[in-house]
Amino acid sequence: MDPLRQDEFDSQACGSIAPKAKPCPRPKPGEAAGGCSFDGAQITLLPIMDAAHLVHGPIACAGNSWESRGTLSSGPSLSQYGFATDLTDSDIIFGGEKKLKDSIDYIAGRFAPPAIFVYSTCVTALIGEDMDAVCKEAADRLGIPVIPVNSPGFVGSKNLGNRLAGDALLQYVIGTGEPEPETDLGVNLIGEYNIAGEMWDIEKLMNSAGIAVTSRITGDARYKEITWAHRARVNMVVCSRALLGLAKEMESRYGIPYFEGSFYGAKETTYSLRQMAYLMNDREMERRVDRLTEREEARLSQELRPYRKLLRGKRAVLYTGGVKSWSVISALKELGVQVVGVGTNKSTEDDVRRIADRVGDDTEYIPEGGASRIIKTVRERKADIMIAGGRNMYVAMKEQIPFIDINQERHKAYAGYEGLLRLAKELTYSLANPIWKLAASPAPWDKEAPPYDR
Amino acid sequence: MSRDELNIKDNTSLFKEERYVQQRENKKQFEAPCSEQETAEALAYSKSAEYMEKNFSRQNVVINPHKACQPLGSVMAALGFEKTLPFVHGSQGCNAYFRSHLSRHFKEPTPSVSTSMTEDAAVFGGMNNLIDGLENSVALYKPEMVAICTTCMAEVIGDDLNSFIGNARIKGVISEEYPVAYCNTPSFVGSHITGYDAMIKGILSYLYTRSGIESKPGSGEESGEKLNVMLGFEPYTGNFAELRKILGAFDTKYTILGDHSGNYDSPATGEYEYYYGGTKLADVPQAANALATLSLQKYTLKKTQEYISGTWNQKLAALSTPLGIKGTDTLLATISELTGLPVPAMLTEERGRVVDALMDSHPYLHGKRVALVGDPDLLIGLIGFCLETGMEPVHIICSNGDVDFNEVKFKDEAEALLAASPYGTEATVHVGKDLWHMRSLLLNDKVDLAIGSSHLKFAAKDAEVPLVRVGFPIFDRHHMHRYPIIGYQGTLNLLSLIVNTILQQLDDHNSGFNFELVR
Ligand code: SF4
Repeated sequence: MDPLRQDEFDSQACGSIAPKAKPCPRPKPGEAAGGCSFDGAQITLLPIMDAAHLVHGPIACAGNSWESRGTLSSGPSLSQYGFATDLTDSDIIFGGEKKLKDSIDYIAGRFAPPAIFVYSTCVTALIGEDMDAVCKEAADRLGIPVIPVNSPGFVGSKNLGNRLAGDALLQYVIGTGEPEPETDLGVNLIGEYNIAGEMWDIEKLMNSAGIAVTSRITGDARYKEITWAHRARVNMVVCSRALLGLAKEMESRYGIPYFEGSFYGAKETTYSLRQMAYLMNDREMERRVDRLTEREEARLSQELRPYRKLLRGKRAVLYTGGVKSWSVISALKELGVQVVGVGTNKSTEDDVRRIADRVGDDTEYIPEGGASRIIKTVRERKADIMIAGGRNMYVAMKEQIPFIDINQERHKAYAGYEGLLRLAKELTYSLANPIWKLAASPAPWDKEAPPYDR
Repeated sequence: MSRDELNIKDNTSLFKEERYVQQRENKKQFEAPCSEQETAEALAYSKSAEYMEKNFSRQNVVINPHKACQPLGSVMAALGFEKTLPFVHGSQGCNAYFRSHLSRHFKEPTPSVSTSMTEDAAVFGGMNNLIDGLENSVALYKPEMVAICTTCMAEVIGDDLNSFIGNARIKGVISEEYPVAYCNTPSFVGSHITGYDAMIKGILSYLYTRSGIESKPGSGEESGEKLNVMLGFEPYTGNFAELRKILGAFDTKYTILGDHSGNYDSPATGEYEYYYGGTKLADVPQAANALATLSLQKYTLKKTQEYISGTWNQKLAALSTPLGIKGTDTLLATISELTGLPVPAMLTEERGRVVDALMDSHPYLHGKRVALVGDPDLLIGLIGFCLETGMEPVHIICSNGDVDFNEVKFKDEAEALLAASPYGTEATVHVGKDLWHMRSLLLNDKVDLAIGSSHLKFAAKDAEVPLVRVGFPIFDRHHMHRYPIIGYQGTLNLLSLIVNTILQQLDDHNSGFNFELVR
């Protein structure tokens, strides 16, 4: 049960630096909508692994969400801790600022993090807690950054929360530090959260082309590296429109050029690497990138051959909530998989244009969500597989439809050339598993035909 | 195709490769400005007794909570009734969390909607959201009843559900007769179990009142011979099945009040429906005429129990989760007493078999020191089970254990239970504490085994204690909820889980001379 229709939009723009695209859709009452802005803000900032993340509010927001995302860390794990002020009714009446202050003190004293992010939630925003003041006072007193993230759930969607988190980074983090003199400056990766370790695959590629990563915003990041993001030479917005505003603002503030790219699929990966080298204005680097991408693509196409044979002509319905739609389409196309239905629920006009560039005329656009709507498309278009997020997974299982989880809970990394291989493998496994045949055949004493002939 | 023509590594093995190890090393320069030695010292300190004291004097921050909020429980409760749509009045995020939280545990979809309140609702109240929400969700998902609960946001702005629902009827969005039950469940009070209770009571009292039936326990024809049964916030669908088996063996008629097992254990037929199973709405008012009510989570169902023995004036037997032999004995004796039926021979036989199994395994259980985390009723059951097998509960944490029923507090009951056994002498019971407290306990006073939800895995890993996953939520193991843990059969399951974990440990930690075939 996901949102069935989101055709109304906020009259006001999301965040203070909203891109020109259409603003975040407003959720519709009575539907099972997605996450809130608080969730969105957390998603963006939690991958800063060495920082502490404190949720200021009743137990709901933290109790239901801590440690449930697959952003991996290569070292520190403080970000995995579920810190909460756990406000009770008397705090609601008398205010929770004291509790907040004490919590910050305790965390600073006990865990010595390089920074503490403090998240407001519906309740603390409503009862008018002056979080900014508490954070400022604590930061001055403790000598570490204590950063208020004002993104209570009720202000809107998850996407808006991403943007508000970006705002917090701009306001409190970026530009507050300087890289060590010998640091090799290069590209900021914005909006790549290291789900299932994807960031590591990307970094490896960039390293082989001699392109340095300046700051990861924020997959497997360390707080310190984000403070000097303003020294990067290029910003790449990794298929996440929500943080486009951040890149735009950095362009106008610090003159850093940016581009939007993706690492899903070989073509997109190659394009992204080329774009980096091009914007760095470094001939030698461009040549290196060319050599690398040619080599990798050739190797990949070799290795993909057996999978391509199996996947050619397979039909997929893709529902990723918008941001990744077009980039994953490219990846699927390279594998010979035909996308016969695609969700455009949260896509901007630009995204839709990009989708249109990549799919054929007979692809159905699914503007409204809702498991049943997606499944209808799967049936009508005789799709072989459904590619969507975790909340739709169990519905697909009930309907006996092969499924791949592509969203933030996935456990497989699909970015870069190797990621495409992994995707190919997952698709074949998912399609070829004997369970589908078993599920589709009735019990021997039950003559009735299965409801859906695949 | 052959299964692995290409050797594509997943992240478990991939990141052990040299280049990734190197990458990780390079990143160290950005990490918090502490030397390795400082880090090691801090880590060691966090494991010390001195730190434990500091940790336990911590007042104002919760670290790694072991409870969820009220509305999450309400959603589960609502799913226990036929064709009922859980409806969360608040901003949209909460509902998204509830759905993924419950789905991750049961590996099943969770139908539930939200009024998606935004800023203007925060200022002007959420009435329009609620009315629009009712209209939309009834049209889209065609439920036969809507069950509304609030989140903290709706509570803070003081939305009045009753009058809003009334207005929705006046506006013709839903008909006068259309059933809409509701309850108030702010997240800043109680936990998922109080929310569960609030919704069950909300639905029972709502359907009863509007039916116009007058409660005459034990009188109303067929329903007068029935037994009402409530399982409470029940993370095991297998427990419903086990209970049905037991009641079936007694050959008694019964109504389960709040049965979400259908929703969370539906077959893959090739077609998804939004609603599976659940207590029939018409059975609810009839339940007021039943013989008696049996509750299997007395702390959880506090308000509902008060309502049943009060308003329905019905005989009530309230137990905690019936685990272990004694726990199940009490359950059977209670059913027998309430219905006047003898305990069926089949169950006595089953009892004998499970006692036999416990005897087989007892050498491996005796004296094993255990840590326990869970909801109050589950913990009472687990403590009982541990004590009867000779295991020694040592650390017990119940984050939401500050509840009482009939003036008996959970903590007091747990302590009395422990004090009555020579195996309980070492135990301490902590209520209102979190999993970071448990970490200190595990590190400072080692145990052999921890029993609790998946969330405990971090502390257990730090302390190198094997974890047996019992309770809610279990995110990282499959199908645990399909096996009952109540009744004799459940006792056997729990025993197998525990003893085989211990045996696995023996094998894993054996250098060779004691690596034996027969155990
Ligand atoms: S909607 Fe509000 S109360 Fe709910 S999880 Fe989001 S921030 Fe917390």
